[in-house]
Amino acid sequence: MPSATDVSVELTVNGRSCRREVPARTLLVHFLREQLGLTGTHVGCDTTQCGACTVAMDGVAVKSCTVLAAQAGGHEITTIEGIGDEGKLHPVQHAFWAEHGLQCGYCTPGMVMAVRQIIADNPDPTDADVRRGLAGNICRCTGYQNIVAAALAAAAAMRES
Amino acid sequence: MFPADFRYLRAESLPHALDLLADGEDVKVLAGGQSLLPMMKLRLAVPEAVVDIGGITELAGVSPDGDRVRIGALTTYRALQRDELIAARFPAMTDALAVLADQQVRARGTVGGCVAHGDPAADLPAVLLALDASVTVAARGATRTVALGDFLRGIYATDLATGEIVTEISVGAAPPPGQAYEKFEQSASHLPLAGVCAALSVSDGVITSARVAVTGVAGRVFRSFDTERALAGAPAEPASLEASAALAADGAEPLSDQHATGPFRQHLARVLARRALARALTRATGEVPPR
Ligand code: FES
Ligand code: FES
Repeated sequence: MPSATDVSVELTVNGRSCRREVPARTLLVHFLREQLGLTGTHVGCDTTQCGACTVAMDGVAVKSCTVLAAQAGGHEITTIEGIGDEGKLHPVQHAFWAEHGLQCGYCTPGMVMAVRQIIADNPDPTDADVRRGLAGNICRCTGYQNIVAAALAAAAAMRES
Repeated sequence: MFPADFRYLRAESLPHALDLLADGEDVKVLAGGQSLLPMMKLRLAVPEAVVDIGGITELAGVSPDGDRVRIGALTTYRALQRDELIAARFPAMTDALAVLADQQVRARGTVGGCVAHGDPAADLPAVLLALDASVTVAARGATRTVALGDFLRGIYATDLATGEIVTEISVGAAPPPGQAYEKFEQSASHLPLAGVCAALSVSDGVITSARVAVTGVAGRVFRSFDTERALAGAPAEPASLEASAALAADGAEPLSDQHATGPFRQHLARVLARRALARALTRATGEVPPR
């Protein structure tokens, strides 16, 4: 039985349109994980600080824990599952692998989505640009060195291709 | 965490939003959601209904209008950062946008939301106050415009009445080129423990007028009138800046919390005022300061 607080949400995720009835309070991240089974997008905090939930909304990186699924209605979402696949990693994914930009991997989907945005806005970022650009992403493991190295390597690879 | 249950109402237009808002008791306006949703997730805000104004595209965008520049309430920080007029004429805004929150939050957070939220430690209000901004507010059948200094009342307290929506912020179209924003951030939230915006007019080696606004230090963003008075008429040289910056937090009732004591915040305000003034003066005169 739909209740007064349910909403119908129709949106496009990784190129496929989908529609679900959900409580209005459903956050985009929970919609992706629980309604669509796209569990690559993580939740790491309650306070909009960690960035593990980063996805692209109409091509721009946002924190999916701080967007209602209802707000995303009519928009296009790209998640970590939508940018590459096992046989052919996205250049940013490849760089995280090649530069060992992760340890436990919990922050990694959000880091990859955030780095994509940094490079989209500035194809030739400096070390400082990358660090400032990652202000909204927290990693508890790596100490960031290899994440920054991966971002710079990805930017270089993407400039060449 | 997720918010408590609420009714979600999507506004199709400003009049529709105002009607929806007038219908309920405990209704919140949702713009970008970068302040409201975190508060709802922590159950610090538990509205019965939420009116989503995010789809009202006519409330977004920057446009010159005579001697003012209008910034639609739904203009995101990211859009402001990418706006040519803002980049050309409002360097202090560019300073603040570069260090405000993070790229994901800037993509959704809006200028109107920031002002309506009334956070005493937000970056942009200091810049807007130094630039003499005014806020336009709509209600059913009426709009009014208020100076930002009168609009911001205290901690999460503003002049916004029930049933009203912030529709636009405007600033003078010909601000002094000598302007700069400096902050010292709390590293987890990126909010300023203190932030200072200075805007200087300089003519023939004399500072003819100054506006200096401070955020993060007290319960509301405030202008440092002592600093402004000390600067007006002073020679445009480092010694004047030094003396006037020392007055930047005088008379403020500083906030004290787990992140910083009141006296530390006041100290930061003085140091940041000096830096902001120095950079503003450099921009006003086009001279590169000695290192
Ligand atoms: S889960 Fe979204 S920022 Fe932490
Ligand atoms: S790799 Fe473990 S949190 Fe970043």
